Amino acid sequence: MTVLRTSLRNFVAHKGRMLLSGVAVVLSVAFVCGTLVFTDTMNATFDRLFTETAADVTVSSKDAESDETPDTGKPATVPASLLDELEGVEGVASVSGGALSMGVTVVNADNENMGATTGAPTIASNWSDVDEWSMDIASGRLPRGEGEVMVDADTAKKHGLELGDELRTIAVTGEFRAEIVGVAAFRSTNPGATVVYFDTETVQTRLLGEEDAYTSVYVTAAEGVGDEELKRSVVAALGAGEYKVRTREEYAAESQDELGAFLDVIKYALLGFAGIALLVGVFLIVNTFSMLVAQRTREIGLMRAIGSSRRQVNRSVLVEALLLGVLGSVLGVGAGVGLAVGLMELMGLAGMNLSTDDLTVKWTTPVVGVVLGVVVTVLAAYLPARRAGRISPMAALRDDGLPAAGSRVGRVRSGVGLVLTPVGVGALVVAAGSAEASQGAAFLGLGVVLTLVGFVLVGPLLAGVLVRVLGAALLRVFGPVGRMAERNALRNPRRTGATGAALMIGLALVASLSVVGASLVASAGDELDRTVGADFIVQSDTYQPIVPEVAGRLGSVDDIEHVTEYRVLEARLSLPGGGSVRDSVTAASPTYAEDLRVETVSGELADAYERDAMSVPEDFAEKHGVEVGDRIGVDFARGDRAELTVRAITAADTSVDQGAMYLSTETAERYVDEDRMPLNMIMFAKAEEGREDAAYAALKAELEPFPQYTVRNQADYKELLEDQVGQLLNMVYGLLALAIVVAVLGVVNTLALSVVERTREIGLMRAIGLSRRQLRRMIRLESVVIALFGAVLGLGLGLGWGVAAQRLLALEGLKVLEVPWPTIAVVFVGAAVVGLVAALVPAFRAGRMNVLNAIATE
Amino acid sequence: MAAKARQVVKAYGSGETRVVALDRVDVDVERGAFTAIMGPSGSGKSTLMHCLAGLDSVTSGQIWVGETEITGLKEKKLTRLRRDSIGFIFQAFNLLPTLSALENITLPMDIAGRKVDREWLEKVVETVGLSGRLKHRPNQLSGGQQQRVAVARALAARPEIIFGDEPTGNLDSRAGAEVLGFLRRSVDDLGQTIVMVTHDPVAAAYADRVLYLADGRIVDEMREPTAEAVLDRMKAFDTFGRVS
Repeated sequence: MTVLRTSLRNFVAHKGRMLLSGVAVVLSVAFVCGTLVFTDTMNATFDRLFTETAADVTVSSKDAESDETPDTGKPATVPASLLDELEGVEGVASVSGGALSMGVTVVNADNENMGATTGAPTIASNWSDVDEWSMDIASGRLPRGEGEVMVDADTAKKHGLELGDELRTIAVTGEFRAEIVGVAAFRSTNPGATVVYFDTETVQTRLLGEEDAYTSVYVTAAEGVGDEELKRSVVAALGAGEYKVRTREEYAAESQDELGAFLDVIKYALLGFAGIALLVGVFLIVNTFSMLVAQRTREIGLMRAIGSSRRQVNRSVLVEALLLGVLGSVLGVGAGVGLAVGLMELMGLAGMNLSTDDLTVKWTTPVVGVVLGVVVTVLAAYLPARRAGRISPMAALRDDGLPAAGSRVGRVRSGVGLVLTPVGVGALVVAAGSAEASQGAAFLGLGVVLTLVGFVLVGPLLAGVLVRVLGAALLRVFGPVGRMAERNALRNPRRTGATGAALMIGLALVASLSVVGASLVASAGDELDRTVGADFIVQSDTYQPIVPEVAGRLGSVDDIEHVTEYRVLEARLSLPGGGSVRDSVTAASPTYAEDLRVETVSGELADAYERDAMSVPEDFAEKHGVEVGDRIGVDFARGDRAELTVRAITAADTSVDQGAMYLSTETAERYVDEDRMPLNMIMFAKAEEGREDAAYAALKAELEPFPQYTVRNQADYKELLEDQVGQLLNMVYGLLALAIVVAVLGVVNTLALSVVERTREIGLMRAIGLSRRQLRRMIRLESVVIALFGAVLGLGLGLGWGVAAQRLLALEGLKVLEVPWPTIAVVFVGAAVVGLVAALVPAFRAGRMNVLNAIATE
Repeated sequence: MAAKARQVVKAYGSGETRVVALDRVDVDVERGAFTAIMGPSGSGKSTLMHCLAGLDSVTSGQIWVGETEITGLKEKKLTRLRRDSIGFIFQAFNLLPTLSALENITLPMDIAGRKVDREWLEKVVETVGLSGRLKHRPNQLSGGQQQRVAVARALAARPEIIFGDEPTGNLDSRAGAEVLGFLRRSVDDLGQTIVMVTHDPVAAAYADRVLYLADGRIVDEMREPTAEAVLDRMKAFDTFGRVS
């Protein structure tokens, strides 16, 4: 009881000193809980959406793999007669036919794409029972006949569409125009999709290309008939395996599975970043408790002298940590819910309207948050607590009040670090030189972990060396103030080490990722220069296949020498040595051999584009013992079986189109029906010699009415790659910012506590004439040195990791090493700025300290 | 005069709870002399020293250090005055643990960005007998040596005046005598002005003049004191105090 009371009093007395540690706990726990609440809410929202928008039983074609429109641009259908058949089935109350296509692009009069840029689809549909349940007609009326369309309210609002405006719908079957006659609003969540409604006949003739066909039939059960029961009678009536029949529950679960997998990726990525922040927070907590224990040495000595046991002292510190952990975690859980709400608002800006009514806080979320926060805090306080327990009663009598112990532990710790670091570096070197990716990755992971732990352990040792170097380089100009700052940073290397190490972690990740990212861009650019002969690349940034009309138009553009088609087909390959494998083959125009300069190890690539010929990649050939002249049975998933002769074996030494098997479009067309042939997802074009600019302009003009497609020349394509990598990196940096913020809090914390600890010293210096300005500068310089120390460690470590990763990834085509020096320089300078900012409050408080009180402080 | 105070009042609080620490004090600190301020706990002797040294502000009255009136000076100017014209020796914690003895000694000049007078520094170091210990850190020095470093620091900058706040309070009698001896010699040989607060009659006996403070007032003064005389005087005050 006494222990608890002492801890509680200490905790309350030092609440200011606990503040920053508390903030670190709050932030980390908030991030964890925010992530959980957000993803759970997303899941719940979509679960509800899918359940609400599903019919009791949905019947669709057995070819329909999911609800996405296949790459032929035309969805799989069921005959309209199915409706009549189902009407008569027992237990059916009503049936409704749904005709829906996602293979469409809708543009306004200014040729702007009405679809979302977030990757959410554009859906063209008839108005079925399901829509009746989930949508309200906000204004206007339902469309009638080919010339009328109804749009969803969010799209209308976003693009300023009004009744009477004209929209153009582009589909694989051609394009047509329609006037807006109605606006429909989602009753619940709008998942971000753009939805347009036509009457059933228009969808059938214009988008499905089949009259009397639907994509799904929605069956409603009669009173008292369960979904499962209904499904059984439907299957019995239609025959097993003829159609895909799903109950409401199955439909929702299936839709949810795809989304769930995606959300899981996001969830674990965010939790990973939260974990890093928490790890950084550990350093802060360790430092705080170490300093509190050091400051309380005499007090603890007295407690020991009057009979407290080691255990009691130890426990009193841990109880304080427990209080901090509980308080921080509880606040963190609350902040996490707030964070989730904020994220939902953010999604709203991106076009996905999530309602806070759906806010889902599972009971596990606060439990996970609190347990995590408390366990981490108490574990982090364990070492300082043990050190407190070891304080001898004699400490009460000693004047300096600082524990003499610790040097032995320091040596053991440094020793372990000095062993781990070279081992880790060794692992990185092995990874860099590794000939096999999976094995190399294991070594890379090992190397990263070992060097990180090693650096943390030798941190205090390195602090001694690096701070002196930094001091010599940067602080000498500031004279005695600089010298005192340097000495202050050096006086407790363990503290400086831990503070710097916290910053190191975040910065090491930034540095290594920047190296990998820059190398990625450089390598791709290099590869593009070396292998790609095509001048232009046409593709859709929203992953729409290229409709035949556009493909046809490209060929007739002026100044174009040739246009290359490129389709990917699923097939089962029967190998000469027996056995078969499922794989995809690439059907391209013969000009693709010029557009992509792929080396062959055997045969000529051009020959592979001859009738009934193909190429296989080197590793495939080796694995299955295939040689030039062998025949492979290619059973197209949506076509007939072909016997193709291998005429070329392509070198594995490429990153573009790695592992592709080529055959000509003509060969593919012999075995696959035209309307089952997948569309081009990407196309290439080459300009006539010297006419590149004119051709580029002409292509752009030709694609003007089709905003879903973009043509890029090589320079623009490189820029696109750079932008994409840059965006990804920025996102990761943004998430790492949390860890860096916590680390900066650590610097603030260390300085603030140091200032308190050095009250008398500061008073003395002020008494003998140190001005406030000089005092503040001294603290700022100390802060900058600590931050730069962390930056040097982090950048060094990160560069090592990045280079090792690049060397390893060279196997996967990341051949060029590029170190983004500007980024590195920005991080270094940024660290100095961070140091200055971190010192603001501690320096201000030190400057305001009353000289007399400072001297009098006992 | 190295410093003087006129009608200095230092009061804390107001109204009912007003406590007067210094009550219209007049002091003249003679140049090149060693002055001791004595008095029982709570007599206001430390407050007087803090006010004279520009560490604390006064409620009313005027104080001069050298020719400068310091009452009413802004914080920045006060800091500069302390740096350039005043030396301090505290009872404990006089040195920065991160700096060597020599660095501690030259610290005020370093802070001021002033060049160190090598010759003078050597003389001071020799006077306090620290020649072999200049590279040592404070924690490698004994208590007496630490106080001698503090004395050297105070002397090295050749301040107008040095204030000592119980400079031997934490030392055993031998080390204390050593430090007091150096203070005495710095007055005699170097012409330094020193003001020292103490409650130790033996320490006070090293001074040229002793001022007695009681209840915030200067109640007596003694020139050429001896330990016995000081002790007797103190006893007299004690009795007097108890009777009144």
